[in-house]
Amino acid sequence: MNAAVMRIFASIIPVIFLLSFAFAAVKKVKVYDSFTEGVKGAIPLVCSIFPYIAAVMMLAKVFEASGLEDRLVTLLSPLFHRLGLPTEIAELVLIKPLSGSGSTAVLADIVTQYGVDSYIGRCACVVYGASETVFYIGAVYFADRKKKRLTAALVISLFVYFLSVVFCCLLCRVI
Amino acid sequence: MNTLFSVVFFLSCAVLLVLDPEGFLPAVLSGAGNAATLCLSLLASYAAWMGVMRLWEDSGVTRGVSKLLRPVVGRLFKVEQEETKRAIAMNLSANLLGVGGAATPYGIKAANLIEGEKNADYASSMLFVLSATSLQLIPTSVVAMRVSLGSACPSDVILPTLLATVLSTLLGAVFVRLFIPKGEKSAKKQASRSPFYQKKQGAGIE
Repeated sequence: MNAAVMRIFASIIPVIFLLSFAFAAVKKVKVYDSFTEGVKGAIPLVCSIFPYIAAVMMLAKVFEASGLEDRLVTLLSPLFHRLGLPTEIAELVLIKPLSGSGSTAVLADIVTQYGVDSYIGRCACVVYGASETVFYIGAVYFADRKKKRLTAALVISLFVYFLSVVFCCLLCRVI
Repeated sequence: MNTLFSVVFFLSCAVLLVLDPEGFLPAVLSGAGNAATLCLSLLASYAAWMGVMRLWEDSGVTRGVSKLLRPVVGRLFKVEQEETKRAIAMNLSANLLGVGGAATPYGIKAANLIEGEKNADYASSMLFVLSATSLQLIPTSVVAMRVSLGSACPSDVILPTLLATVLSTLLGAVFVRLFIPKGEKSAKKQASRSPFYQKKQGAGIE
């Protein structure tokens, strides 16, 4: 059954591509010309977001290297405990809004250490799956916009993220 | 963002200076290196998706989808221009499908177009929060990881993930409604658009 489910997931993207090409051909679009024209836009797009990604990632690394991150994790552990969250996932919760690849590594650590089907492992998976790298989105989408007026939006996003983490762990206990 | 960046960076540098001055540069460089690697893989994913996106534009899929979502987008974002609505509609649908590679270019385009709208503050906050809390129908990468680690039931995280993102998206939208004023901040027209965007208008992700 699992293999079948995975197959369906894996089919989504090829199906999207297939339908897009077929539909464009039916609509008499010059598929090759049109496709390459679109690809052309990728380079300026990446160039325009690179500085912001670089800044956020350097920040994340320095923060980690300075040991401040560990300090913060220790500091937050009692709070996690009181809210009924497993303290083992504190690091994941902290790093997920900052770095996608960093949080993937932390998630892999957690599930191998505590087991994929343990309560902690499932919590970690749900928290990881249900959240986005908030800072990355802010940096990329609003690359050269004034960031100041987005402070409120950033605070809202992070607050909602935290609420959803609590909710995730609750759900994992019930389901 | 400026304050946050400065404070965290300053504190981290100060601590490193005291504890481990030699570790500072390697940390900065490895961060920058990560960014370079990420951008390279983003380039690959944008190249693939923006090609297909252009096909959607030219074959009228974009127009169809945005027509379908127009009422929702109009009510949620309070934007008026057709093109802005279209970019937002495509960003939302790509996010829903879990196609990050296509969602981001549309998101950037929408963020740029929103600058010219009347409710720019409100609409960009809404765009940010909805993207940051985005609905996740199928957490493909997590399920794949669980399969590879031999989980007894890899798909049992799908339901909680879906429920949690439904909750966070709703909460996010409600909070933006409540806390971000739908002000009449006068529209800053074309002039404030980035040079990057203007360059792209001719040949880019239109």
